[in-house]
Amino acid sequence: MLQQIHDRAKGWFAWLIIIMISIPFALWGIQSYIGGGSEPVAGLVNGHEISERELDHRVQTERIQLREQMGAAYDPAQFDDKRLRQEALDAMIREALVVDAANRMGLRVADPVLRGQILAEPAFQQDGHFDNAAYEQALKYQGLSPSQFEAQLRQRLVGSQLVRAVAGSELVTKTEREQYQRLTGQRRELSWLRVPIAGFLGDAPIDDQAIAAYYEANPKRFQVPEQVKLDYLVLDVAGLAAKTSVSDEDIRRAYESDQARFGRPERRSVRHILITVPPEADAAANQAALAEIEGVRKRIEGGEAFDAVAKAVSKDPGSASQGGSLGEIEKGIWDPAFEQSAFSLPVGQISEPVRSKFGYHLIQVQSITPAAVKPLGEVREQLRGELAKQKAESLFYDQGERLANLVYESSDSLVPAAQELGMEIQHSDWISRAGGEGVLRQPKVTAAAFSDEVLNEHRNSDLIEPEKEVLQSVVLRVVDHREASTRPLDEVRPEIVTALRKEQAQRAAAAAASADADKLRGGADWAAVAGDAKVEEAGLVGRNDPKVPAAVLSVAFTLPVPATGSASVGTATLEDGDAAVVRVTKIEDGEVKPAAKPGTPDPAVYMLGQMLGRHSYDAVLNDMESRAKVERKAAPAR
Amino acid sequence: MSEYETDDEKVEAIKKWWKENGMSVVAGVALGLGVVFGWRTWTDYRNGVSGQASAAFEQLLDSATADAAQSTAQQAQLLSQGYASTAYPALGELVAAKVLYETGDAAAAIAALQQVVDKAPDPALQRLAALRLARIQLAEGQLDAAAATLAAYDKSSAFAGDFAAVRGDLAAARGDTAAARAAYEKAIAAGTGLPQLIRLKLDNLPAAG
Repeated sequence: MLQQIHDRAKGWFAWLIIIMISIPFALWGIQSYIGGGSEPVAGLVNGHEISERELDHRVQTERIQLREQMGAAYDPAQFDDKRLRQEALDAMIREALVVDAANRMGLRVADPVLRGQILAEPAFQQDGHFDNAAYEQALKYQGLSPSQFEAQLRQRLVGSQLVRAVAGSELVTKTEREQYQRLTGQRRELSWLRVPIAGFLGDAPIDDQAIAAYYEANPKRFQVPEQVKLDYLVLDVAGLAAKTSVSDEDIRRAYESDQARFGRPERRSVRHILITVPPEADAAANQAALAEIEGVRKRIEGGEAFDAVAKAVSKDPGSASQGGSLGEIEKGIWDPAFEQSAFSLPVGQISEPVRSKFGYHLIQVQSITPAAVKPLGEVREQLRGELAKQKAESLFYDQGERLANLVYESSDSLVPAAQELGMEIQHSDWISRAGGEGVLRQPKVTAAAFSDEVLNEHRNSDLIEPEKEVLQSVVLRVVDHREASTRPLDEVRPEIVTALRKEQAQRAAAAAASADADKLRGGADWAAVAGDAKVEEAGLVGRNDPKVPAAVLSVAFTLPVPATGSASVGTATLEDGDAAVVRVTKIEDGEVKPAAKPGTPDPAVYMLGQMLGRHSYDAVLNDMESRAKVERKAAPAR
Repeated sequence: MSEYETDDEKVEAIKKWWKENGMSVVAGVALGLGVVFGWRTWTDYRNGVSGQASAAFEQLLDSATADAAQSTAQQAQLLSQGYASTAYPALGELVAAKVLYETGDAAAAIAALQQVVDKAPDPALQRLAALRLARIQLAEGQLDAAAATLAAYDKSSAFAGDFAAVRGDLAAARGDTAAARAAYEKAIAAGTGLPQLIRLKLDNLPAAG
């Protein structure tokens, strides 16, 4: 048999086999043999692969987004890479599920819709039109080919259809709405009694063993963190400004060189009458308008009041009703011809017809407020402040540079820098990584104080700028250091005794409250239980009534609904440790408002629908996921 | 050793083979090409139909406001007639049901949801529609119908919390406090859209016993 194959392989049969083998190569290309399958896969959804590379890209994009959202507050260490990857993979699996479901259900976005979306995307436009170069550039920036991007967009659009169909069709039934209103608006009639722990605080000696046990059980409470004492220099613009002096001569020079700033231009109170003619109107129309305005001018000259005529004939919609008045105007924003005339007319005179781009005007100036310049005396202090700030700023940069050099050159002391620049060395108390007062509270400062270079190598820190955009620099060195420690038992013994006594008292108060509650349940009335203590009668209160402590409310609103004429009783622990007995005697449901008219959604119902809708969409995807074949490959160690 | 001594013999053999098998080879290739092109045409056609259905559905979404409930319902009807091979009719009915219910036509909303339940293209959508159906039936006082709907479609862990919440409402409506309590507790444990509201309902049940 083998012999036979060998023999035939030399003939036409061999050719046939070669041809058959070459067909797949010709049709699918060689890359499907070389490239396929070798790429590591991060997840599988019904046979659809999510590659490690896609996942990496997603994680990276997410990091960039986080950084953009959070700005300076972004701390890479806060976002554990493993968690980000996990979340990104979950999100990608969800997307793949949606794609899979859409394919299965025949959901699709028509090509024209897809094209419309791409054409309308502002990022792909140049001067308000779609631009192919901009499109390709934007995709390149995202590392996508057009067909990849189009597939992604199609996927997003189909996904959005599914969201709108599933979440957008969520409804809130009438009973659900009413019940929501009844429950959230519910009020309960309650009274409560405080059982203070003060009444149970004893001074009986506390067992040494209990103290030791407490000390062992709460090591964190008695820990003192690692601390340092610092020497530091602060250079800031406010301090420098206070030290800088500005001469009167400087102020005068600044004032004179910047007159425009302190001047106030001429203002004129002006009124006018407008007969409109568009700029492109022909000669006849122009003539007609001119004739009309001449007529108006004659009327005023004949003794009619300007404002009455303006009201009657002016075509300027803004001013006609004001008798033509434009109020006080300044140069620079009006039609040039109009302005030219308005700012050259003497007071009271009616102008000749003036042609602006709106038409013909008659202008009258009613009063003139001449241009004025604020006197030096009025702006002296303002200028002094500005000049001092300018000087201080340039001094700040100058001294900052010198300071940085000085503390670097003699890195084992701040004294030379302080002497050279006339600065005062400041001394801190013990501070931990949580920071100290003032500038020592800044995270950049504490980070530098506990850095290897400063803490262990005993060198000066670099020049630190604690806050962005604040002209302030700090240099520091560590002068003393103590490791984290636990305070010795003897030192904290009184603290522990107090704590234990309080715990005992709390237990006793709670027990007393619970005994009182039992008495109430047994039919005793408040007076019998409370004695001299005051019972708080809160009356009918809502869920968030500020008059009643939150702990009391939360117990009151979880107690069973009492039958008519009886009461529900419970106990609570207040924020300060005191116990409380709570009694609910009546429940009044919230008011049920009639359904909002169609088109005016009730905000509360709208919110319920939104929350339900979002959950519905999640549930649909979870359901699909539970039936799909989903695999998550363990992330490779990095 | 070869069977064929000379080239002529080889040519003869090939000719003979072709005579015997030529027809089947040609037929096979033609069939193959036919299948490939047929499949292409079929997918193009299907994509075309889906695209049209998709556009019609977008239109329905745009018009889906309470003022236009009738028109929304009609569009959903048209989707069902024209594009029954896609999932769009079911999605259209979901949207129509909401709009119909909000205009006060609960019966029509129930009918629309019933249609989705009957021909849902995906079990998840079927469960979703059944859940809404049961909620409306409950609100309409059709307690037995609601119970039947719940019993028939509460089959998935993804919807377990939501079904339990409705079951709690149903038990509360029937006055069965113990069953309501158990159902609400299950709903909170399994996860639902409004856990806080369910907590309120739970706290508001009359004392046990």
